[in-house]
Parts: sequence; structure tokens; C-alpha cells
Amino acid sequence: MVTKTKGIGDLFKEIIDKGLCTVCGACVGDCPYVVFYRGKIRMLDFCNRTEGHCYEYCPRTFTDLDAISNKIHGTSYTGDEIGTVKEVLMARAGDSKTRAKAQYGGTVSALLSLALDNGVIDAAILSKNTDDKLPSGFVARSSAQVLEGAGSNYMAYPALEALNGMPRDSKDRLGIVVTPCQAIALAKMKVSPPSQRVSMENVRLSIGLFCTWALAYDRFFEFIKNNVSPAKIKKFDIPPPPANRFDFYIGKEVESFPLDGIRNYRMSTCAYCLDMTAEFTDISLGSVEGIEGWNTVIVRTQQGMDIVEEAKKKGVLEIKELPAQNLVHLKDAALIKKARAVQAIVERTGDKNDLMYLGISDNLKGKLLSHRVTAQGGH
Amino acid sequence: MPNIDMDAPGSNQLFIGNEAMARGALEAGIGFASAYPGTPSSEILGSLSEVAKKRDIYVEWSVNEKVAIEAGAAASFAGVRALVAMKMNGLNTVIDFLSTITLSGIGKKGIVVMVGDDPSAHSSSNETDSRPVSKWLDIPLVEPGDFQEAKDMMPFLYGISEEFGTISIMRSVTRIAHARGNIKLGEIPKIAHKARFEQYLDPAAPMPTPIMCVPSSFRHMFQHMRMDKVREKFESCSFNRYVGPDKPDLLIITAGSGWLYSQDAVNALKAENRIGILKLGTLWPLPEKLIKTHLSKADKVIFIEETDPFLEGVIMEYTAGFSPESKRNLFYGKHTRHLNSFGELTPDAVIKAITSVLDIKYAPRDAEYMKKVEAVPQGHVMDRLLTFCPGCPHRASFWAIKNALAMDGRNGFVTGDIGCYTMALGPAGFFQTRTHQCMGAGAGLANGFGQLSRFGFNQPVVSVVGDSTFYHSIIPALVNGVHNHSNFTLVILDNGATAMTGFQPHPGTELTAMGEPAAQISMENICRAIGARVEICDPFDLKDTTRTILDLVEQDQGARVAIMRRTCELVRQKKEKKPYKMQIDPDKCLGEDCGCNRLCTRVFRCPGLIWDAAAGKTRIDEVICTACGVCADICPEGAITKEAIA
Ligand SMILES: Cc1cc2nc3c(=O)[nH]c(=O)nc-3n(C[C@H](O)[C@H](O)[C@H](O)COP(=O)(O)OP(=O)(O)OC[C@H]3O[C@@H](n4cnc5c(N)ncnc54)[C@H](O)[C@@H]3O)c2cc1C
Ligand code: SF4
Ligand code: SF4
Repeated sequence: MVTKTKGIGDLFKEIIDKGLCTVCGACVGDCPYVVFYRGKIRMLDFCNRTEGHCYEYCPRTFTDLDAISNKIHGTSYTGDEIGTVKEVLMARAGDSKTRAKAQYGGTVSALLSLALDNGVIDAAILSKNTDDKLPSGFVARSSAQVLEGAGSNYMAYPALEALNGMPRDSKDRLGIVVTPCQAIALAKMKVSPPSQRVSMENVRLSIGLFCTWALAYDRFFEFIKNNVSPAKIKKFDIPPPPANRFDFYIGKEVESFPLDGIRNYRMSTCAYCLDMTAEFTDISLGSVEGIEGWNTVIVRTQQGMDIVEEAKKKGVLEIKELPAQNLVHLKDAALIKKARAVQAIVERTGDKNDLMYLGISDNLKGKLLSHRVTAQGGH
Repeated sequence: MPNIDMDAPGSNQLFIGNEAMARGALEAGIGFASAYPGTPSSEILGSLSEVAKKRDIYVEWSVNEKVAIEAGAAASFAGVRALVAMKMNGLNTVIDFLSTITLSGIGKKGIVVMVGDDPSAHSSSNETDSRPVSKWLDIPLVEPGDFQEAKDMMPFLYGISEEFGTISIMRSVTRIAHARGNIKLGEIPKIAHKARFEQYLDPAAPMPTPIMCVPSSFRHMFQHMRMDKVREKFESCSFNRYVGPDKPDLLIITAGSGWLYSQDAVNALKAENRIGILKLGTLWPLPEKLIKTHLSKADKVIFIEETDPFLEGVIMEYTAGFSPESKRNLFYGKHTRHLNSFGELTPDAVIKAITSVLDIKYAPRDAEYMKKVEAVPQGHVMDRLLTFCPGCPHRASFWAIKNALAMDGRNGFVTGDIGCYTMALGPAGFFQTRTHQCMGAGAGLANGFGQLSRFGFNQPVVSVVGDSTFYHSIIPALVNGVHNHSNFTLVILDNGATAMTGFQPHPGTELTAMGEPAAQISMENICRAIGARVEICDPFDLKDTTRTILDLVEQDQGARVAIMRRTCELVRQKKEKKPYKMQIDPDKCLGEDCGCNRLCTRVFRCPGLIWDAAAGKTRIDEVICTACGVCADICPEGAITKEAIA
């Protein structure tokens, strides 16, 4: 395990060229040397610095989980299944129009719209599909724009590039939607804020998406091109287990593919990811097993609590208790992801003491290593 | 530039070697001159073109050397003296024609090929020695040893060409072609050229037609007979001469610039009584008797000649045929490693070789001398990277190519060609160019790379050529690529000039060498007619250019073309003012911080940008910057700004 911050050359050597890049975008958009193009991080020139933010913030270089947990939650990293939690509940957007456009319950879109409306944030960094159905980052400044980004695209894309691309002196207070790996990078940025980028103080609300794995942009795009016509796709969906399907909504039709085949297109780096529920965010959410049109919501921070309370008060969200059985399943799935990741990491390093990027205490190492992969979980 | 056709016979004038040769051609009464530019030969046609109208001669920058020599031959066939000029690379491309015209013979009037060699390859891809061509193709060849000879040899060579009915070659090297010296002018004859292609079928006629090279063996024999006669003539030619004692301790056999160095060396060593110099001007066929006479008077012989051991080899070979009673000399030169058979001759190297053979002690200069010499220019001459001019469109083009290939990510590369853009082998073009051979080779190589996908090859190939190069030798390669579905992108850097050699016109430009309106040949029409997809962009629009190249590269099939059109900065400057006011906001400049680390002065490296190490900021060099504005578009922080000047 290397704990020292290095430069761009090392980032390519140790992470990108080794198939460990999550395409989170933490290394992109801040400097002229690194760009994202067609699913890949590319180096245009060698920047020649021995230390850089690109290497520092990458979620696959050394990550002090205690430090980021302390920064976000005010406590050390526990290694618990779904991380630090204030409240778990079930929610959906009060507004049926939002629900109709959204992935599941529309909670993400509803919360962002509310945050924009009541001035908690001035802008939200989201993803929206290009004509080719590739996700790309954009800045939404109104609830109408938030709805343009509704729906999930299961291809990984550099959300943080859009954040890095904000003007350095921007005063906009920001919300951002991130996957778990992106959340880790964002947390690392908060732990040691960059001097030359938009201020991390501006990031007021981070909403995390549950994630078992994401699809590799370039390879999955090939699949879409060869099997469904990209321009006609209205929505992607992975219905909750036990469906085991990947659905393309094409007009009113649904074209389904077995999830097992689609899984081949996931990014190799996801195998080493510990986090299913975006533990280092203010709020994180996913689907609800067996209950269509709702979201599982984990509220993690005070900011998260505030906005959810407000949403409840204003009827922006309908809120219910998450059935106990669902919580058990969620924790199981999250634990399985952790156990599998640690197992894969040890297989890769060949050394139980070398957990690659994971900076955790020896105690926790033992705890994580003791998990056994038993049941099937997540998508 | 002096007026090479001044009417002042008998006067002394300062000419560079190339002007002297052009003057010689005028004094020889040429009516036709054709050339393709190439250092160190370009000024010959360049200076003739200035006086062409006045002297009523035809002067042409041809599309390439092959067409130039064939066009010149036609003039000879029709009874007009013709001069054809090229550099040694060009000579290589006309070997085929030379090998037939030596058999067919020439017309009633002479034709001379002037070839400029570039020992040390100061401005060339190689330093090939042209002289051996004369031996294996049976062509008379002379080489001037000074500026006067550069002029005087011309009329002489036309005499040889016509008397013996053979094409002839004059070789010169950079140090003669580009150095300046005094010459005494002769008279330029007033000739009313009359051109007519006479079609005599009688084999006994002065120029029987058809002009042809069959029956080849017979004509080959005939050429050898001609060469024997030329040799006889050369035996008593005043361009070959000897200076020195009757029986020298050491005989120098030399030619060309070696003659100057040899005289200097003998002077410097004060060895006039010990060393003799046989200076040869007619290098092929060699005056064997003259040489034998001098060999018989000295034991030790050293050869001083530029590049290859040509005289050295031929003369040693020749002595092998001497009778056993003849004198056996001790030969020194390149084969004994007293001199190098690569790189330019230098006065020092010549002195060193001679002192070593004669075992003379000589300290050429005190050890501190070089240090002092090096100290002189310091502070007066800037250390400058070998790079494109400030504001050069090529820098922007290669920036776009670099970024496009990096984004594509399949390890694409550039096959290079010959022009200013050859510098893209280095930092000027961000090390994008990965092959460098001769004119046209980059596109030829791209054709081959583009067929290798069946063997697992998947790297994008970008052939980058200049506009003049495109017309010179790229068109067949593009035809080949389109016809055979080769997978490559051809990028033509169209700056409207043959910039490297001095802005000669080419088929795409407006004027002929005579300064008359030319029929401009559209490169995009040619490419489209061949069947290639053609995109045209302005390299200063970096975004669009990068996107265009990327799109072409990603097409991944067939030969396709991008034309990057933007006038050469040196040409633009003469006509227009600076378009922008360039400024750098020091507060925004990140300098060496994470987020930039001097992209502009470390990677982009336009000479118009200066890194102020003390301030940790970049500055504009107002004097050098041409205000092209490109750096404003690469600065990640928007610190560099361009403001249009109304
Ligand atoms: C790659 C990926 C994997 C997922 N895996 C799971 C899972 O295993 N289990 C589970 O329960 N849920 C998973 N989800 C989350 C789920 O699909 C929904 O996004 C989530 O439940 C929110 O639903 P919603 O109705 O509130 O969404 P919406 O209101 O429609 O909002 C979704 C938001 O996500 C953003 N977004 C879309 N695609 C991406 C992307 N690729 N990267 C970052 N942001 C994006 C959109 O901009 C939008 O703001 C995954 C999502 C993604 C993107
Ligand atoms: S994981 Fe994120 S920060 Fe790391 S290399 Fe990939 S895109 Fe860059
Ligand atoms: S504007 Fe910039 S790139 Fe252009 S010449 Fe000036 S310094 Fe060079």
C-alpha cells in the first residue's frame, strides 16, 4: 500500500493502466493534462509534477477512511454494512410528474428541486444523457433542469469533472449527485481542499446513489450500438432482485436482456469497491426491493436531515417506514459487497495486510476479512 | 542579393556560390532552367527567376525534380541549353531518367544538372555524396574548388555536354554554394533561342529520332566510348592543377571545398616545400594520366574530399592496374581513418590528418581559444530551441494532432515528411512525428501501416505533409491508399508556401517562378477526385481542428484527408499587422502550481512566451510574439487574453 501522494504519471501507471479507474472524474477538468474521452481518462501531456491533486483525490489511491468519515460524519469509519446512518426510510416524490420522469420514486430529483427552490443550493451537478445515450455532466439551476437529468444511466461517467469545471471563484452553493466511488473522491477533496479549484465549502449537499457496479462506458456503448438503437432509448432500468434483468425502454416497449450478460460490461474496478450505499454523502438512495415506484433513503448527516424534514413538511416527499425485512436485505447486500471486495483485493495483492487503497485500522481489517461471501445480493 | 546578370564583364563581384553558378549558366547562354527547391541549391533558380524576363529565358519551379529534369531535357532536344538544379535528395529521384538519357543522348544543345550536396546534413535528411552517380551511370561530373570556378565551369560543362552529346553534372557542397566570394564576370551572350524538335530518321543525322535508349547494350558501349573521349579532354583541363614542389613528401589529392582547406592547411603548417596539392575539378571521368604522373613523384598520398572516399577509392582501384614496375604509393585518407567518411570536412580535421601522416607537431590554437570563442556570443545571441516560428500554424496543427491522438488512445502516431514540420520530431511538434525519411515517404509508409490490421495492427496512422510536398510526391501515395483501402489519415499543412527553402511558388500558389499568374491547382479537388473524404480546417481553431482530426482518425477505414489551411506566419507578417493585443494576467497565471505547471512555456513553447522564473509567471515577449492568439486558447486558466485590434 502506497500512502504518498504522487503525480499524474503514477496515477496512470498504478490506477488507470491497471484497470482500477472508476471514471469518477476527480482527476479531470482541473488541469489541461487529463481529459475524459469516450469512457476513458486520457493524458494529453505529461505534467511533470511529482505531486498532484489528480493522484491525491483518486478514490483508488490511498484513502484514509477514518479521515473522510470524520470529515463527513464526525466519527471514525465503522466498517458497518451501510455506514453511518441517522435514519433509514422509504420515500417518493409527492409530485407525480417527477415520479413519471424519474428512475424509481423520484426522491433525488424532488430533493434537488426543493434545495434549489428554497435556496439551500444555487446549482446542482447532475448527469444527463447525450443523443447517443451516454451520460454527461451538467449544471442544473432550476427544477425544470433537474428533471432533464432524471433517470439512471448505469454507465459510469466523470461527475466530478463537472464539479472541477466550475469557475474557481464561483460563489454558487452546489448540490451534486454521486455514485459511491465519486462520493469517496469528493470526500477526499473535502478533507484536503484544493487551493486552485472551486471551493469545497460551496458543496452543500451530496446525494449518493446505491451502486453494486457500473457499466464501462466504452464497452457498453458498443453493446447498445449493436443491439438496440441508442437514439430510441427512453430509459434504462435494473429492476430490483430477483428480476435479474436489464431493461431498455424503447418508446412504450421494453426490451429486456439477462442481467448476467450485461454484467460482463461492468467496470473491472467495481470488484474492489467496498461501498454499496454511498456512505460518505448527506443522503443516499436506491430502489426498494419488491415495492415499485419508491426509494430506499438513508439519511446520514444533519444537512440531509434538514432537507428531508423540509421535504416532508412541504409535501415534496411522501415518506414511509422502510419494512424491516427490506433493511435486513439491504444490509446483507451491502455486507456481501464489502466481503467480496476485500476478498478480491487480497487476491490481487496476495497479501492480507495489503488492502490496496483502503486505509483502515488493523482492527477493521480483521473485521472486514472475517466476512464470508454467502448469499447473492444487489444487482 | 546582387544582380546576377549585371553587364560588367571583367569586373569583380561578390557572389555566393549558387549565384556564381547561375551567372555561369547565363554566360553559357542557357534558355531554360527548371528546379525543385532544396537546400543548398535553391538560390540558383531563385536568382535566375529574377532576371528571366529581362534575359528572355524560361525559368520554372517544377512540381518535383523528375519533372524538372525531363522538362530540361525537352529543351535540349529542341535545341535550347537547359539547366536543371536540385539537391542530392532530388538527384536520387531522377536516377531513372539519368540512366536512360545517358543511353539516348541529348539534343543539339547541352543540358547540365547542378546538384547541391549537403555534407553534415545541415538542412537535409541525409548527407549522400552525389559523385558516385557519375561513375555508375557514366556521366561527366565536375566540382568547383572556388567561387570563380563555380561560374567558369558552367560554360565549360555546356561545351562538354554538346561536344560529346551527353548530360553532365556539376556538384557543389554547402560551403561553396552558400559562402560568398569574389568572381570576375564574363560576358552574357545575346542569344535568340530558336526551339524546334527536328525529327530526322537518318541515324547519321546530328540528333536522330526517335530519341531512345534501345538497343541498350549497344548504346551503353557507345556511352563508354564517349566517356573515354571526355577523359582525354579532361587530361588537359585547367580546372585540374598542381601546386607544390616537384617531388613532395606528401601529395594531397583534393577537390571541391577540400581544395580551400588543403591550401589553408599547407599555409598554416608552412609546409609549401614539403606538400604538393593536386586539385581536381573534373571528377568523372578522371584524368588518369595526369594523376599517374603526380603519383609517380610522391611516396605518400592523402585524399581530402567531402563525404565519401570517392577519389580515394577510384584512384586506389586504378593504381591496382598499374604495371608491377610502377611506383607503389602509401595512401592515406578515410580508409586509414585519418579523416571521416561522414560529416563535413573542417580545416582542423585536414590539418590533423596531414600532421599525423607527416608526423609534424602542430598546436592549432591555444586551449583557451575555444572557451573564448564560446564566450563571445553570450549575452548577444539567445539560446533558442529548434522550433517553429512564433505564430506558426504548424505549432497549432501539431497541438491538435497530439490531443486528438491522445484522446483516441490507441497509440496513434505521425509519419513525417520533409519541410519545416520535420521539426515535429522534437519538442516543436510535441514529439508527434515518429518516422522521418525522404519526401513523400511518410504517406508511403502510412499506406503500408494502413494495411496491417489483418496482423493485429490497430494504431491510428497520421501522415503529415506540407503543401509543396503534397504536389511533389504525395498524390500517388494517396491514389494508392484510396484504391487499396489503406487505413490512414493524411494531414496536409497548407501554409501556401514552400517555407523551408525560401517561399518558392508551388502548384497551389498564385504566381509562377517568372512572376506570372499561375493556374492554381486545388489540393482539395485533387483529393476529392481521387475519392478521399476531405475536411478543411483552420489550425488556429484548435477545438474544431482537434475534433476534425479525431473524427477522421476514428473513421478507421480508407485513406482520408485533412487540410489545415493557414498562411505561413512569415508570409502573413509581410502583408498584415498584428491581429490582437496579447496580455497575461499574472493573478490568473498558475505558473508551476498543480492545475497548470506551465503548459504554455513547458509544453506549448511558442518562443513568444517567456517564463519569468523569479515571478513564477509567464510573460509575453512583445518583440517576438506575433499575436496569433493561439496560446490564449490553450491556457487552462484564461490568464492569457487576446483582444482584437481594430
Ligand atoms: C451506476 C448506477 C448503479 C446503481 N445501482 C443501484 C443498485 O445496485 N441498487 C439500487 O437500489 N440502486 C442503484 N442505483 C440507483 C437507482 O438507479 C436510482 O438512481 C436511485 O434509486 C434514485 O432513484 P430516483 O427515482 O430518486 O432517481 P431520479 O430522481 O431519476 O434521479 C436520478 C439521478 O441520478 C443521476 N444519475 C443518473 N445516472 C447517473 C450516473 N451514471 N452517475 C451519477 N449520477 C447519475 C441523475 O442525474 C439524476 O439526478 C444505481 C444508479 C446508478 C447510476
Ligand atoms: S478513479 Fe477517478 S480519480 Fe481515479 S483515475 Fe479514475 S477518474 Fe481519475
Ligand atoms: S499569441 Fe501566443 S502563441 Fe501566438 S505568437 Fe504570441 S505568444 Fe506565441
